[in-house]
Amino acid sequence: MNHNYIVMYIYASLKSISVNWMYIVSNLMFPVSLMIVVGILSQGKLLPFALVGGLISITAMSGVNSIAYLASLRFDFLYRDLVVTTKTTKMDYMFAHLLGEFVWVVPSIAFYFILDVIYGLLTPYTFLMTLLLACMVSISSYSIAFWITSRIKHTRNAWPIGTVLSLLLITVSPTFYPYTYLPKYILDILTILPTTPAVVLAQGIFGLTPSLPIQWYMLPILFVETAAYLLIAVYTTQWVEK
Amino acid sequence: MIEARNLDKKYGNDTHAVRSISFTLDKKITSIIGQNGAGKTTLLRILSTQLLPTSGTASINGYDIIKDAARIREIAVSIPQESRPIYWFSPTILIMLYLGARGMGLRESRRAADKAIKKVGLWDSRDKMAAELSGGMKRKIFVAMALASDADIIFLDEPTTGLDPLSRIQIWSAIRSMKGQVIITTHYMEEAQALSDDVLMMNKGRVLSQGSVKELLKPFEGMVRVESKMRRRRSHKVGDTWISYVKKGKAESFVMEGDIIKSITLDDLFIKEGVNLES
Ligand SMILES: Nc1ncnc2c1ncn2[C@@H]1O[C@H](COP(=O)(O)OP(=O)(O)O)[C@@H](O)[C@H]1O
Ligand SMILES: [Mg+2]
Repeated sequence: MNHNYIVMYIYASLKSISVNWMYIVSNLMFPVSLMIVVGILSQGKLLPFALVGGLISITAMSGVNSIAYLASLRFDFLYRDLVVTTKTTKMDYMFAHLLGEFVWVVPSIAFYFILDVIYGLLTPYTFLMTLLLACMVSISSYSIAFWITSRIKHTRNAWPIGTVLSLLLITVSPTFYPYTYLPKYILDILTILPTTPAVVLAQGIFGLTPSLPIQWYMLPILFVETAAYLLIAVYTTQWVEK
Repeated sequence: MIEARNLDKKYGNDTHAVRSISFTLDKKITSIIGQNGAGKTTLLRILSTQLLPTSGTASINGYDIIKDAARIREIAVSIPQESRPIYWFSPTILIMLYLGARGMGLRESRRAADKAIKKVGLWDSRDKMAAELSGGMKRKIFVAMALASDADIIFLDEPTTGLDPLSRIQIWSAIRSMKGQVIITTHYMEEAQALSDDVLMMNKGRVLSQGSVKELLKPFEGMVRVESKMRRRRSHKVGDTWISYVKKGKAESFVMEGDIIKSITLDDLFIKEGVNLES
């Protein structure tokens, strides 16, 4: 494991804050505007759901939106080619860039935690559980991004795929409303999207939905799913070209 | 030292980029010359463990390019032809990132990066965004990466293509100052002549010949190149020009007839082999 590259990439990411602050804003914009819409339409009733789901959305979006970034590193800058011939493995590369992206999510997560406090939703327990969920969603959505990047042929495809995926993860999953609105079989299907198990669990933890056994199935499901996406990303990505 | 045995690369079924070539490179600086599409990049990518050959073997300082790829990545640096700096990072950060990828720590890489940046003449721009730099300066960032890595083997794929003469000379001097064995590719003959102890000439995936510039030009000793609008004895047609080679003493008479006389360069090796330089 080349931790030096991981440290260096996070350092580089932090150093470039002056160029990347707009990225933080745009990442925050989408869930916040959805929260406002949902809040108004439900006359405030669904606001806590949008708060809990918004935080998870942000990590998911940051993950899948990095398809565009990873693709340009690969095709436009030929940066990946440069790194392939060093001791950095694809696993190191993936983690370095995952954490490099995560750096940009931290301010948004903090923003949501502040809203949670204002809304009286945050306890040490919900705080820690949310962090755990955010990490897992981040890893799984980033793995999906990594996997897709290894399969596209040019950058032009990357933007639309990123957008489609982030909409899927955010609006098709019951991120902004109670999962209990959905018929059971639809919920089962949606479990394939990592945001689904994460929000079902989060809604239960925050006491927004009645505590049902299903929410606890979701924890192992999320774990297994995250591991599966990660393994798929690592093992199916062609690193040395054939 | 680099040894290749029957190295072969096919892309899909149609493109045969490298055709079963064998060679040994053991001089300080080797230039691989050849036109666009000759297979230089493919060869470099295979040797630097970026691309698997279809068949054949090669070794670098005794390490097999497939079996011992991890070891090769420790001792060799490879700068791809079309790498461009991620434009919102500074030269310093980019070089440090690369050194980090090679396993160097934060402080050590800062020191090595500073040193290399001074050497290639980027000091005043070290903290600017790469987007603000000229083409030559961008290229120098990559040369500085290679310098700072202090590797035993350095592969540079067309390090000076498209650069102005001054930047090229600066890059050449950086290349000469590298401690390890350097392999560059180029399609500028004068670059190969200015830099290298050994030249590997490639055409259509094959090696045409190999040797020092002097050795390669031996058959042309005492000759000049005559470029004529008319067909001459034993001349080759390149575009609309007939090229032939004559003894220096005889050149006079051709000048009288309006032909152009030029001194011999590595280009002439290709022309003599019947390679159309314009294709
Ligand atoms: N990734 C690729 N896929 C298919 N064909 C390729 C690829 N890379 C190079 N080629 C082909 O292989 C041949 C050699 O290319 P290359 O090694 O880039 O030559 P050079 O570097 O000497 O210009 C060319 O015909 C080129 O079109
Ligand atoms: Mg090339």
